[in-house]
Amino acid sequence: MSAIHVTTKINGDVVDYVCEADETLLDVLRNRLGLTGAKEGCSTGDCGACSVTIDGRLTCSCLVLGAEADGREIGTIEGMAKGDELHPLQRKFLEHAALQCGICTPGILVAAKSLLEHNPKPTETEVRFGLAGNLCRCTGYDKIVRAVMDAAQEMRRA
Amino acid sequence: MAIIGPVQQKNMGPPHSRIDGRAKVTGAAPYASDFAVGRPAYAYFVTSSIARGRITGFDMAAAGQVPGLLDILTYETMRGAVKKPTFFAGGGYAGTTIRPLDGPEIFHDGQIVAVVLADSYESAREAAYKVKVTCQAEQPAATFGSAGATTEDAADAKGHEDPAVGDIAAGLAAASATVDADYATPTQHHNPIELFTTTCAWTGDKLTVYEPSQIVHGLKHGVAEQLGIPPDHVRIVSPFVGGAFGSKASVTPRTALAAIAARCLGRPVKLVLTREQGFSVATYRAETRHHLRLGADADGKFTALSHEAWEVTSRPDSYLVAGTDTTARLYACPNVFTKVHLVHVDRNTPGFMRSPPEVPYLFPLECAIDEVAEKLGLDPIELRRRNDTMKEPIGGLPYTSRSLMECFDQAAESFGWARRSAAPASMRDGDWLIGWGCASTCYPTALAPATARVILWKDGRVKVETAAHDLGTGAYTALAQVAAERLGVPVGQVTIALGDSDLPPSPVAGGSITTASVSSVIAKACDAIRAKLGVNDSALIDPGIRVAGFERLGVALVQEYAEFAPHGAKPEGIDKLYAGLSTLKGGAMLEDRIQYAFGAEFVEVRIHARTREIRVPRVHGAFAAGRIVNPKTAHSQLMGGLIWGVSSALHEATEMDLGTARYINDNFADYLVPVNADIEDVSVILVPERDTQVNPLGIKGLGELGNVGTNAAVANAVYHATGRRIRELPIRLEKLLA
Repeated sequence: MSAIHVTTKINGDVVDYVCEADETLLDVLRNRLGLTGAKEGCSTGDCGACSVTIDGRLTCSCLVLGAEADGREIGTIEGMAKGDELHPLQRKFLEHAALQCGICTPGILVAAKSLLEHNPKPTETEVRFGLAGNLCRCTGYDKIVRAVMDAAQEMRRA
Repeated sequence: MAIIGPVQQKNMGPPHSRIDGRAKVTGAAPYASDFAVGRPAYAYFVTSSIARGRITGFDMAAAGQVPGLLDILTYETMRGAVKKPTFFAGGGYAGTTIRPLDGPEIFHDGQIVAVVLADSYESAREAAYKVKVTCQAEQPAATFGSAGATTEDAADAKGHEDPAVGDIAAGLAAASATVDADYATPTQHHNPIELFTTTCAWTGDKLTVYEPSQIVHGLKHGVAEQLGIPPDHVRIVSPFVGGAFGSKASVTPRTALAAIAARCLGRPVKLVLTREQGFSVATYRAETRHHLRLGADADGKFTALSHEAWEVTSRPDSYLVAGTDTTARLYACPNVFTKVHLVHVDRNTPGFMRSPPEVPYLFPLECAIDEVAEKLGLDPIELRRRNDTMKEPIGGLPYTSRSLMECFDQAAESFGWARRSAAPASMRDGDWLIGWGCASTCYPTALAPATARVILWKDGRVKVETAAHDLGTGAYTALAQVAAERLGVPVGQVTIALGDSDLPPSPVAGGSITTASVSSVIAKACDAIRAKLGVNDSALIDPGIRVAGFERLGVALVQEYAEFAPHGAKPEGIDKLYAGLSTLKGGAMLEDRIQYAFGAEFVEVRIHARTREIRVPRVHGAFAAGRIVNPKTAHSQLMGGLIWGVSSALHEATEMDLGTARYINDNFADYLVPVNADIEDVSVILVPERDTQVNPLGIKGLGELGNVGTNAAVANAVYHATGRRIRELPIRLEKLLA
């Protein structure tokens, strides 16, 4: 197999990497780039733990090849806080105790950020259905919804 | 939505956000598979596609052509490489004694038959797909009633006695109302979102294992046993665990295989089981069957309880949960008979899954109580009140504390139970049939020996070191709160090191024992530090006193190591802990008393009159568990428990092909768990309770308290909505259509 050279942008930074043709974006992020915030929970697109954005669109990185990131913009959990300043969603997740073991949390935060970018004023039902693709097994479902609603309100005020 | 913020009440610490929360929301928290090791090889398992038989040959020709392939390990080269593991129930470490790659025999579907090693994950997987295994298959026994299944009395399995008292026949004869019914609970798999991963790296003859674990010292000794090397040559690193629920509490066969692979290759090996492989390489909650008879006299006093049950286990291992230890003692009843049977079939060995005995065993009892109440024309809460007791009926031992009815009163008030119309199918909202049901919940309060080291610096920084585990439970935070309070410093000045077998040993993060056991030892170490600083037992410690104490001692830091053994523990408990073994004491296992945490759970279901779609708009639970160290994380655990309970009642079941004894829905598309859209109002009430006996701090565990009563509460609500008693879980709409 011949390696593929990829030029992409991750969390705003230009990144070059070499990957195999059959390597998933999730494996590239985790194993080649050390971005281990995206987690593997199923490799079938069912759990959402590996959620990232590609050109602003929410995507399971286990279902995309690393080679497909060429020329695109990738957003991961590592790009969500600005330095030490947490994103309002991250802050509200802490305040509302919307996480337990934390393995699903990066994926849910990426999905919630994407949801609010597309719908800044979601109803509770829209949040529940918008995040239905992210499994939390611990499970913090009610608190997750509350945190997202609260963050949305704060972000609208800002 | 429910009211969220738990407020600090009597005998509760202040609600505190997770001290590890920032690492988790930024993606920085290192889970076992996140650790980078230099240039790893990747392992991928080939697993058996039959449940019983023998391997007759391998064809490696196609696999051998895959670029990047390094090696393929099978029993032909590995026989004897893994030493025989000791089963945890026999005083060992392993969740199964089945040794894959030790011979051609197949004991269950999904058994590991080859380990493929390659330069990349993709190459390992491709080569694994190309390994051809030929087998001579035999007809397997899948479950109860399968040809070839063998049954034994659990009383013959080591350590179990069937609790009984009085004369069951006389008790049944004296009853005015009786229920005599059969119940069934399904196979369930824990399915933590974190996969079962193992990374092994050798430095000389020393092995480091990065693996999510609920018992790092147990895993260390278990792996050493299987590799035949000294335990102090093994280190387990597992600071964060992405959910476990019991599945990471015993040693699986995968770890020794990954370690041997890494030794063979002379480089680190990373192994990430697929979601499907986790169903058969790790453990699960076995299906159960119950025959329950409950009788009560005209006043609603129980006269007889007979609980006979059957559990599934593997061929070689007698895994047993025997929840009759709890059901026999939950209510006052003069005549109790119990009997548990184990049924051996051709499956992987089952294991602990959140509230292992109580979830399957309280379901029939709490459903039967609802039924008896209806026959007597009594409210089901009132029936429980009439049989509430401070003394368990089998040995007459006193409960250390029991707030069951206080929990019912508070949850009933919050839920609005007084507005319930008692007759089945009598509450309706348009096309939706409304049902309200309730049930008791309980979980034994056990503790185990624990050790810890606490360091206090003159400037007020504190470090706590103990090989306990935070599975998402909030242990990092609660343990920091205990140390901070004891040493008079802000929580932010405390750092906690957990999840590493180089730290002083702590017991398994199972049986809801961590907070009580580990807080107790941390408090003990802190008290020794206070004594060194000249602070007497009750005095508050403030910065002035601390600094004065340090100046008097003339040192920069004070450190204390402590050992804690709970009530009823044997002297050798600490030695066993150092050998990786946790000896739990408490619940119904004590000679002089019985200790449990209690709660009450209320559920509203809405069932569509035509489609029978089942929705759960409301779940309210009230729980009492002694001192609550951190109401914020306790609230989360109980809420998660209630949602687990709804999941168990309505969604979860591992489906099996009865002809081949293979799991069918071994993936997240087909194994149903609730998503955000399935869950609505979940309210948790923390009921203040003081228990001066369970341990010096008065803490009971609550991680497994939330999901015990929910199965019955949902089933009772479904009955109230429809008039149909569904006695087999999960309750899916097809069971309401017929």
